[in-house]
Amino acid sequence: MTTSRTLAILTAAALITAGCGGSTSSDNASGNTPSSQPSTIGPSDMPNDQAPPPRLLVDVTIKDGKVTPANEQLKAGVKEQIIIRINSDAADELHVHSTPDHTFKVEAKPMQSFQFTVDVPGKVDVELHKLNQIIATIQVQ
Amino acid sequence: MITDRSTAVLAHGLGGSTDLPIPLSYALIGAAWALTFTFAVVALAWRRPRFDPDRPGRPLPRWVTTLVDAPATRWAVAIAALAFAVWVMVAGFVGPQDEDNPLPGVFYVLLWVGLVALSLVFGPVWRAISPVRTVHRLLGRRSLGLPYPERAGYWPAAAGLFAFVWLELASPDPGSLGAIKIWLFAYFIVTLAGALCCGDRWCARADPFEVYSVVASPLSPLRSNRDGRIAIGNPFDHLPTLPVRAGTLGVLAVLLGSTAFDSFSASPGWRGFVDAHTHSPATATLLRTAGLLVFAAVVGGTFWLAARTTGGVDARRRRELPGLMAHSLIPIVIGYVFAHYLTYLVERGQQTIFLLLGLHDAQVHYVLSMHPPVLASIKVGCVVAGHIAAVIAAHDKALRLSPASGRCPQPAVYQLTGQLAMMLVMVGYTFTGLYLLFGG
Repeated sequence: MTTSRTLAILTAAALITAGCGGSTSSDNASGNTPSSQPSTIGPSDMPNDQAPPPRLLVDVTIKDGKVTPANEQLKAGVKEQIIIRINSDAADELHVHSTPDHTFKVEAKPMQSFQFTVDVPGKVDVELHKLNQIIATIQVQ
Repeated sequence: MITDRSTAVLAHGLGGSTDLPIPLSYALIGAAWALTFTFAVVALAWRRPRFDPDRPGRPLPRWVTTLVDAPATRWAVAIAALAFAVWVMVAGFVGPQDEDNPLPGVFYVLLWVGLVALSLVFGPVWRAISPVRTVHRLLGRRSLGLPYPERAGYWPAAAGLFAFVWLELASPDPGSLGAIKIWLFAYFIVTLAGALCCGDRWCARADPFEVYSVVASPLSPLRSNRDGRIAIGNPFDHLPTLPVRAGTLGVLAVLLGSTAFDSFSASPGWRGFVDAHTHSPATATLLRTAGLLVFAAVVGGTFWLAARTTGGVDARRRRELPGLMAHSLIPIVIGYVFAHYLTYLVERGQQTIFLLLGLHDAQVHYVLSMHPPVLASIKVGCVVAGHIAAVIAAHDKALRLSPASGRCPQPAVYQLTGQLAMMLVMVGYTFTGLYLLFGG
């Protein structure tokens, strides 16, 4: 039983490695502008362009209590501009759990932009407080 | 872009970012070392038990013992700790009721992680600093003299530890000052009432923090010899002194299972699962509680089974094995706790102390977060070192328990098969731990 457990862990580890490549490409679907696309394509896809991207843009839609995207995995650089653009039909609060924390008021209107940078490397949760929903976890490194 | 700090919710009880995952290569190197070392120990290491809990440590000069055991010292330390607790509670009530309040930091970082670090250096310190013990002593150590139910063993403490990790990892809002105050109030009342009914023994068996401190303390180089002298000794000699009672394994399972669940519950897969299957904070809490229970039960269950399959013992001994082997789990628990919470202790610890002192502008030094490769190396180092120590302790104990140990060395093959299940379970814990640090 324990052997199969160990095997399962190894297999899972292998699958997750494969999964990392998959999730980065799905970031494109979250609506990045063309200028920031290099950040979301694996280095193997664009071998000539490995320069750090200037900014990370996340498009968020809040409609009828549903948030898209949700529990997204993103990456950004230290001190890189991170912009969260929200179309919302309800007022809420955007919490960025970086060090230190940022909090923004979200109003019920389209095209609101919230911009911040993260100075300390780490995993940063971007959360909508009232809906209690994590939009994305950004790995800042 | 209005920043309104007063309403920020505190994810994980504390807010702020969490550690980056460790790189895959680090996890693989750590796993390879753990695996290699495990089988090297079992197949090639000593065949007669080497560690003896009765071996006295090297005594320190007598004045050390005199100083440490002096009633004046004990009272001074106890009163200082009580004053600190009162100060924190006052700050919790009259301080700002937002994330500038130091109470969550003291509760989740200084108490939960700091206590382990202190116990690792100085031994079971909670006995000396427990505010409940101090209050009880100030009341003249009165008690009704009821006997502590021996069958309960450490189970009340395991339940208390579970209540703590439940608040941190499963409750709807771990950062809520109100919830933390209620938790602390309940803890204080239950522990003080127990002490008033059953005396000090209640504190020793049922106070979750005291038992946590006792569990971490055998790894400390400091110990007291049988004659009471404070001495420095080999932690491996000291590890088997962990009291074997009902619930010893339960305490360890809650500690290891909850730390693993902490990593696991941050994974997007689990978060998506919780979001998809629950529609209210209450059901989400129930699901997380179930997850926490499953993690603790899997740790406890696998260890119990593996200990019972140790070779070369009779049926009566076999029943005692899970308790007798439980101490070998301590290094894994402590290694994993440090891998997981070291940045919290070092960085949130500074932040908490600044908040306590009212130094809101003081600069926190992010010594670990700013250097991810160093941090990842330390984390893998903690996990692998804990694993290696656990394997050595389990190997030695298995030799001591085996009836052949006194007469002739066991053949290597027999030794290998007799310990195989335990070693595989430990490798399983370590691989899971590394995997969660990498992927969680």
